[in-house]
Amino acid sequence: MEAELLQKRLAREKAARKQAEDLLEAKSRELYLANQEISATAQELSRQSKQLNAVLDRTMAAIMLVDDNDRIEKVNRAGSVAFGHDIDVMLGQSVFGLFEREQREALAKIQQDCNPDQDFKTIEAIHETVGLRRDRSTFPVELAIAALDLDDRRYTVWICRDLTRRKEAEAERARLEQELRQSQKLESLGTLASGIAHEINTPVQYVSDNAHYLKGAFDDLFAVLDAYGRLAEACVQAGGFDQQVAAVRDSEQDADIEFLKGDIPNSVDQALDGIQRISKIVTAIKEFSHPGTVEKTAADINKAIETTLTVAHNEWKHVCEVKTDFDPALPEVPCLLGDFNQVLLNLIINATHAIASKEEEGLGLITVRTRRAGDAAEITVADNGCGIAEEYRRQIFDPFFTTKGVGKGTGQGLSIAYSIITQKHGGSISFTSKVGEGTTFKILLPIDRDAGMKVAV
Amino acid sequence: MKGFVFTEFLEMVDDKFSPDLTERIVDQADVPSGCAYTAVGTYDHMELVQLVVGLSKETGTAAPDLVKAFGAHLLSRFVVLYPEFFDGHADPFTFLESVENYIHIEVKKLYPDATLPSVACERPSPDKLVVLYESERCLADAAHGLIEGCLKHFGAEDQVTLTREDLSSGKSSRVRFELTR
Repeated sequence: MEAELLQKRLAREKAARKQAEDLLEAKSRELYLANQEISATAQELSRQSKQLNAVLDRTMAAIMLVDDNDRIEKVNRAGSVAFGHDIDVMLGQSVFGLFEREQREALAKIQQDCNPDQDFKTIEAIHETVGLRRDRSTFPVELAIAALDLDDRRYTVWICRDLTRRKEAEAERARLEQELRQSQKLESLGTLASGIAHEINTPVQYVSDNAHYLKGAFDDLFAVLDAYGRLAEACVQAGGFDQQVAAVRDSEQDADIEFLKGDIPNSVDQALDGIQRISKIVTAIKEFSHPGTVEKTAADINKAIETTLTVAHNEWKHVCEVKTDFDPALPEVPCLLGDFNQVLLNLIINATHAIASKEEEGLGLITVRTRRAGDAAEITVADNGCGIAEEYRRQIFDPFFTTKGVGKGTGQGLSIAYSIITQKHGGSISFTSKVGEGTTFKILLPIDRDAGMKVAV
Repeated sequence: MKGFVFTEFLEMVDDKFSPDLTERIVDQADVPSGCAYTAVGTYDHMELVQLVVGLSKETGTAAPDLVKAFGAHLLSRFVVLYPEFFDGHADPFTFLESVENYIHIEVKKLYPDATLPSVACERPSPDKLVVLYESERCLADAAHGLIEGCLKHFGAEDQVTLTREDLSSGKSSRVRFELTR
């Protein structure tokens, strides 16, 4: 090639190279700016992703993204906690494995019916089902499934809420409601009993007065009869009035005066004794059924126990004897007397049932004892009944737990007793038991008068 | 138009004719770029038209024939420079079908500002392919050359009959090519 031609080409190539360099520079700058933009976008996406993950991980509900092969593609921390699996273990596993076998067919149907084009209607879309933890234990679950299409694939979002606590709260509320109903029923019965006792008191009083009057009157009457006897004897000695004396003797014989002289005072005494017992029972019922107060009052625990034993007499009289061993120096204890009476009654009835279920000949024995134990009054109720089996001992204070047959126990007695002693009185209730030998319940009630009186329940 | 087309054109003139002729048409064209082309640059397609006109004058060959020959030359260069576009194609029909849906998409990735023609393909029967070329640059002859180069590359120039029907109206170019086996 000629030199001139080569020079032309060289000049063009230089110009082209310059253009290419400028272009390269411009493209480099564009690339840098694009890279900056991408970095900023990536950072923003990363921030949003972290934010979203933080929200997902801190939400109370278990949230799972499930692919069209039912495999878990994403799960939040609550999901791991609820089902007891590590997140890494859950990923790739079938979502149906997290639910009780019997529920899976229904869940598959719900999943199948999900339509991504439909609005997610929260209430209609919620189902109750049963979750399955890693340890194979089950728990109630509230579940909502929503479908969505991503990258030409159908996904479903499973939102699960552990209902265990809510169910427990509902059961607790039901228990409290039943307890309240029972309490209201008992209160009504108490009011009724109190009214009846009041009504009985008046006739009992005048029957008692009249019996006392009759007792004195008969004494006087028998003195007069003695005088008549002596008169008749004098007539016999002196002679005369034979017919009249014979008539008197016949009357005395017909009436069996000598027997009456001995029997009438006894009958009157028995009547007076019976009336006294009626009076005692009526008084006990009045005291026992005294409307509960919301503030503690100083109470004579020994007297309260006597009252309860009287009221419960019909429960135990054919089954056992009751011995009391009271500390006469026991100070008054701040107490909700109505509630305390109920605790004692429950313990006495339980002890009676324990003795009866032992089915031994002869009467059993319940011993009720009071003592001062430091700053507390100690009340023990011991029986020689069947005792409490080892496997039941952890549950006896649980609501509705009972080993008694249908209609014999509601399973609330000891639960209520526990609540009254520990929560309302700040005391304690415990027991020792030996199967076949008996059970002893021990109650400790604080004697701290000032503190006790101030507590409102 | 991408600089690659210009650099290839000048190289073709060098090869087919002579460097002296190349310099003459460059001098005659007197285009804004001074024909200092770089393959990655972008230039006015009218500069190519001016160069073709100059070459036609110098050689006495009709411009359409020159453009068609350039199209065939370009395809042979594509085969060397971008063999991946041809891999996996056993016949010209499937390759031509991939131009619009694959090759042009790849070109756009590298050169988002590139203005590419539309090359729509239709297969009325297994042995017939209709290629509808549409462009504002009126380079249907280049497209024709490219198709012929394609047939040659796949060794099908004797088995396939190529017909051309101009459907252009106005300034833009619209040409229907029909390939029959």
